[in-house]
Amino acid sequence: MNKILLIIRREYLSRVKKKSFIIMTFLTPLLIAGIYGLIGYFTYKGIKDTHDRIAVVSTNKTLTEQLASNKHLDYQYVNKPLEEVKKSLKQSHYDYVLYLPEFSLAEPKGIVLFGAKQAGLSLNNRIAGDIEELIRNQKLKESGIAQADLDQLKTNVDIETKKIVEGKEESSSAGASTIIAFVAGVLMFMFIMLYGIQVMRGVIEEKTSRIIEVMISSVKPFQLMMGKIIGIALVGLTQFILWIVLTFTISTVAVTVFVDKAAVKKIAYETKNTKVNMAPTTVQAAGPMGDIQKSLAGLDFGKIITVFLFFFIGGYLFYSALYAAIGSAVDSETETQQFMMPVMLPLLLGYALSLSVVTNDPYGKVAFWLSMVPFTSPIAMVVRLPYGVPTWELILSMSILAAGFIGTVWMASRIYRVGILMYGKKTTFKEMFKWFTYRA
Amino acid sequence: MLSVKDIVKQYATHRALDQVSLQVESGKIFGLLGPNGAGKTSLIRIITQITAPDSGEVLFNGERLNANHISQIGYLPEERGLYKKMEIGEQVLYLSKLKGMSTADATKRIKYWFEKLEMGNWWNKKVEDLSKGMQQKVQFVATVLHEPDLIILDEPFSGFDPVNADIIKNEILELNKKGATFIFSTHRMESVEELCDHIALIHRSKKILDGSVDDIKSSYRNNTYWIEYEGQYDPALESGIFNVLQTENIKDKTLIKIKLAENRTANEVLASLLPHVAIHRLDEVIPTMNDIFIEKVKGQDHE
Repeated sequence: MNKILLIIRREYLSRVKKKSFIIMTFLTPLLIAGIYGLIGYFTYKGIKDTHDRIAVVSTNKTLTEQLASNKHLDYQYVNKPLEEVKKSLKQSHYDYVLYLPEFSLAEPKGIVLFGAKQAGLSLNNRIAGDIEELIRNQKLKESGIAQADLDQLKTNVDIETKKIVEGKEESSSAGASTIIAFVAGVLMFMFIMLYGIQVMRGVIEEKTSRIIEVMISSVKPFQLMMGKIIGIALVGLTQFILWIVLTFTISTVAVTVFVDKAAVKKIAYETKNTKVNMAPTTVQAAGPMGDIQKSLAGLDFGKIITVFLFFFIGGYLFYSALYAAIGSAVDSETETQQFMMPVMLPLLLGYALSLSVVTNDPYGKVAFWLSMVPFTSPIAMVVRLPYGVPTWELILSMSILAAGFIGTVWMASRIYRVGILMYGKKTTFKEMFKWFTYRA
Repeated sequence: MLSVKDIVKQYATHRALDQVSLQVESGKIFGLLGPNGAGKTSLIRIITQITAPDSGEVLFNGERLNANHISQIGYLPEERGLYKKMEIGEQVLYLSKLKGMSTADATKRIKYWFEKLEMGNWWNKKVEDLSKGMQQKVQFVATVLHEPDLIILDEPFSGFDPVNADIIKNEILELNKKGATFIFSTHRMESVEELCDHIALIHRSKKILDGSVDDIKSSYRNNTYWIEYEGQYDPALESGIFNVLQTENIKDKTLIKIKLAENRTANEVLASLLPHVAIHRLDEVIPTMNDIFIEKVKGQDHE
């Protein structure tokens, strides 16, 4: 047992100390943070661009209603002479000045938009549309339709999704589950692939550098294989945890340092401001995003992470044992192709089906079987998980996976102990099957 | 110290070892000889517990070979290798800890050996930065570091330049003097004659010769001598004492190769010749290990 620990220690340290590991570990969160930063920046810019503040100078007596702010435009009525507002436009926080002169409802004329920059066509259209609506409402009112009837003309439809779990209703959102499912599925696929192949490379390295014979005269092949597999699993976990911690830290730091506080306040101020005057439509438009946040909070993250870790370790053990067997059977990495295909195929299939069929129908037959077969269950199950999986299915799937990896580890170790000492022979599947029956 | 009994190792279609038995005495240098593919490596792999025999057993100090013996055996395989990216010191430390040494002990001894073999400043070097000969030295140190009772060397001198080969040979002899037993697998006969006390020859999975180097050599003596003399003698003298196999004339001297007749000795030959010619030289023709090796292997192939 002590020897296996020594091997784990070497496999772990030799990888963690590598420059590429350190670079990957620190660059990836920076990259993720960078992407988030860009998304944030463009969202902010988007809000700012489509959210123009307009000072309205009105000498109009015909219109009884005022222009109402919405998510694109923020109208502020100013009780000052037009010339004065125009002059102080640059110093003010307004982007444009809208002048509404007295006009007849039939023929509104003389409306002018002043600005430091040329107003775009879309802005022009939006303001025109808002004024048109104002005039239409005015006309409808004048023809004798009550305000109450006007308000009733518009109807908003909003569907709230609720999941019934053991008789209780749970606020949920298909959107939130899908996001989590995708992230979990992609991560699982990436980790199994990445670290499985590292195991294979490690085995090939020992073979080609011919250290294997020295090693095997000190330790059992099984100890060497398991030491390598476990050591690399720990590298994977270390990287995973560092990524989470670093991404979180970098994002937090970036938000506090780089995003200028005034801008944040301004957005907050504006959102608050617009909400007050916002038409009912815009309040509803913000609805789905709010719902996703609400149901993200409703998901049981503790459970998801625990199950994710179990399936990560299980799936990794299942596949990395196969990769170790492949590594032992070949002399160089270029020879791995023919053996990689049959191992990659189920993983790819599981990945593709999980992200298409399973996310569309997380309770269907396909989803059920994919999450039971150990070749695909690590990905399929974590994808299904956010949608809710019955406990018995979860336990059954976990047990099958556990039995599966014990099986592959046992099988792989039988091929491994023969393969690592074979040189210069082109290995075939038939050959590997024969090794299986050799006495150790 | 090591006794191998009736080992059989069968691969799918090929029998690598067929009823091989050996006895390695403590404190000796044992040569395991044989042409390529004879089964030497298969046998070594069984002794080092890399593989197990299909039948037969190996006893180490009278005990059946088991995991506890790993720390008492040092093995330098023919195909050598080290982790390329790992630092030398760390690497040797790792290998010796796998043999059951403590970090402190191993560090002390690595320093001693590095100093001894003029590798003092190698600790932080990476294997990929060393020449092949330097790597061999590192590997030799890793093999003997845990002071094993039995050291198995598979072609230890391949890859060494003559200077380093000599250094390693002296280290082997020194360790042997201190009591370490060696098994020495090779097909280079010069080194066998220099180092080995005892040999076994394996050919086509079978042991075909086994014994001490001196015994084997004398058993291969076939009463043949070179005699160099000046002058003439009557060929009738030969009758009943010896036969001339070959005659060469070098200037005024004659060199003959003779074979003694049954129950005759070299002394009798000399006694009969001395009154007639001036003897300059008499050498017994002793076959070299190389001759014996070739003769044995070829003889087997003709059967």
